[in-house]
Amino acid sequence: MSENYLGQTIDIILGQEFLTWLWFVSETKPMGFEDIKGQRFSVVMEQRVVVQGGEGESLETATVFGIFSPLKEVRRGLQTGKKVIRALLRIEKDELSWQVILKAEDFSFGTFRTPKVSLDNDEPDATFLEKIYLIESCLQLIDVCYKKFLFVRLSSEWDKEKQNMALWILHDEDSLSSYK
Amino acid sequence: MGFLRTSCSFTRYQIIETVPPELWLQVPEKLKQYSFQDIDNTIQERSWGWTNFDDMLDTSWSLSPPEKGEYIAFSLRLETRRIPPAVVKKHFAIALHEEKTINHTIEKKVISKERKVEIYQHVKNRLFKHFLPIPAIFDVVWSTTTKALYFSSIHSKVNDLFTNLFTVTFELHLEPQTPYTLAQSILDESYIHNLDTLEPTRFV
Repeated sequence: MSENYLGQTIDIILGQEFLTWLWFVSETKPMGFEDIKGQRFSVVMEQRVVVQGGEGESLETATVFGIFSPLKEVRRGLQTGKKVIRALLRIEKDELSWQVILKAEDFSFGTFRTPKVSLDNDEPDATFLEKIYLIESCLQLIDVCYKKFLFVRLSSEWDKEKQNMALWILHDEDSLSSYK
Repeated sequence: MGFLRTSCSFTRYQIIETVPPELWLQVPEKLKQYSFQDIDNTIQERSWGWTNFDDMLDTSWSLSPPEKGEYIAFSLRLETRRIPPAVVKKHFAIALHEEKTINHTIEKKVISKERKVEIYQHVKNRLFKHFLPIPAIFDVVWSTTTKALYFSSIHSKVNDLFTNLFTVTFELHLEPQTPYTLAQSILDESYIHNLDTLEPTRFV
């Protein structure tokens, strides 16, 4: 997408707050999502998270990458007012697992990995159709998360959620159980 | 960069207009009309156009049709000649030196800005002959049952090129599914008003 467009500010606000909220929910209510059929799924933020805060010349970005990283540096970033601008999400439902790097500003999908697709199908388009089905299944799950966020964000529930998120941000992992 | 690879990056779009039902039958012809044109034997810097999803060399869809189940799948093929900047710099300097020598014989002291631009372009065109274009392929998957379309790139310049060519080809406009536009498609009218007046939250 071209730089500087109408609605960019709202994109940034919604995208960053969604990813920050998603991290909060994924840690405090690990199986806190249900798909459109009512089946539970999990979203985990891990390995790679980027946070950013400030404006203009004082803009600061902190990136953490590590397979088993507790993401301490970016957690500290949240404590200084930064928000998540990009994160690696692992989404699991039943036996299926997807990974994607979601960018807050434009919701572009980076290094999207679906569950394995069988390559030895006899039908000419079977592999393609299976792959697209898996991609769209994951997009539906992300949309469910986003819809849930929007209804909280745009309602009176947000004040309470904001307080809980502040407590989560300011406390360490050992205290997380108190917000569940 | 394609959707069939182990991992891929992509942008999700929505078609703004309602797709006229007769368009689905015209898709193969429209793709051929704006198919990729080879520039290997030219000095053209760039070329782009549609090609078969299953084979980047098949610009007449002789191997397979673009229809795959309820989807239309095709690819954007983009080829660009890239000359290393140091090579351009060197040959531009040589050309300027030659121009100065010629000017000296006719007692002309200054090379105008316009002439420098002309020489620079001439040098690039001459060098293009020596560099083959570098191909790049980006997949397009278009759902015929929803308004969704996926394009396997997250680079703004490539995405702009894609959306422009798509509009020229099909006379339809694409809207990227960003947080704001996705919210607009999810929410009721009463909530959408709240979006436009949204202020950032301070969590701490």
